[in-house]
Amino acid sequence: MNIGNLIQLAVSAVAVALLVGMAALMTRGRAAPPLDEAAARRLLAEEFPDDRLESLWLAADGRGGVARAGKWALVLMRIGDGYLARRVVWREAQAAQSRGGRVTIALREPGAPRAVLAFAAWPPPTAKGEAAT
Amino acid sequence: MKIPTDPVTLATPFFILSVILEIVLARFGKLKARYETKDTAVSLSMGLVSTLSGLPIAGLSFAAAIWCYHHRLFTIPMTAVWAWVLVFFAEDLTYYWFHRLSHERRAWWAAHVNHHSSQHYNLSTALRQTWTGGVAGTWALWLPLSLLGFPPAMVAIEKGVSLVYQYWIHTEAIGRMPRWFEAVFNTPSHHRVHHARNPRYLDKNYAGILIVWDRLFGTFQPELDEEAPRYGLVHNLGTFNLLRVAFHEWIGIAQDIVREPRHTLGWLFGPPGWSPDGSRDTSATLKTAWLARQEAKPAPVKREAA
Repeated sequence: MNIGNLIQLAVSAVAVALLVGMAALMTRGRAAPPLDEAAARRLLAEEFPDDRLESLWLAADGRGGVARAGKWALVLMRIGDGYLARRVVWREAQAAQSRGGRVTIALREPGAPRAVLAFAAWPPPTAKGEAAT
Repeated sequence: MKIPTDPVTLATPFFILSVILEIVLARFGKLKARYETKDTAVSLSMGLVSTLSGLPIAGLSFAAAIWCYHHRLFTIPMTAVWAWVLVFFAEDLTYYWFHRLSHERRAWWAAHVNHHSSQHYNLSTALRQTWTGGVAGTWALWLPLSLLGFPPAMVAIEKGVSLVYQYWIHTEAIGRMPRWFEAVFNTPSHHRVHHARNPRYLDKNYAGILIVWDRLFGTFQPELDEEAPRYGLVHNLGTFNLLRVAFHEWIGIAQDIVREPRHTLGWLFGPPGWSPDGSRDTSATLKTAWLARQEAKPAPVKREAA
């Protein structure tokens, strides 16, 4: 690599920083809205069209949710202004650790190691006020 | 001062200016484009580092091309117009098969997946390039061109032309091009389909410049007004960590091989999502499930005239 290549690389790095800054500036104040039940159901229907939802719990900060469909937990977590969706065994999701109002569900994938969601209580209470089992 | 002949280097200022233009015009509602800061940072950083990541293998791939050229079947002059026409078609056909292989076999998908890992589709997505393409060895697919007699420099320039062409089609700002253009060339509309994760759109439109290869080999799918593309991966990433974005599929392959080494060939060369017990989703299983759902839907009731 000669000096010309290094200069080219440095200029490119500055250009990347400039473009990222510009993207941040231009998208400021345009954060994705918090997830509501209708949006969560729509997303889950797109991602898991063959699953029948029994219950749905939304994260307190609107950045995700968990639905139960039989033996599965259907997990949604915001990433940027999009969402990650995964199917996890319900019992594993139920046993996930909760600390400081956040539950960490292990997804065990190199590209998606975990989903961290804001839930004051975990496992989530059912409509009758009991912990979902 | 030496003038660069690499089309990608020459086009870099255009890449930067056009991304700025797309961001600004989208902000003021003048065109359709969606940007997100972290996503943009990942795309551009991937692009920046990709220019370095190819260097360790560049010597080997160049030497291999030179060796092939020394053992060429014909001598094709770099100064003849017909030779450039020929290399255009030959390179574009090679690109089609490279791209198809990169989607349909996991070892090469591992190198290509990061180009598809954004949930956005804008000009910055075009720059989200692989760091592991050289290691994956797909450059070898272009060696037959040198063996045929195309000078390696000619092949390299044509590869650059193809890469530059494919930049502008990564946008939602352009709807559809004129019909004749859509029929022959790869366009933003065709390539939106390629980047979509809707089952109907998976593994379609592999073209570089000419969409005719997809029409010829049965992988063409037009963009449908009733089904907007949803971008990204079948299982989207849960991180913006550059290292995870770049290497997650390679790590996944390694984990699978360590867990079940007797299926090594399947883990490496099966389609993405392949597993010995069929418990994971491949494009084929997703399409089959989607088709079954379509067929199970009740047919629309025809209203008879009163």
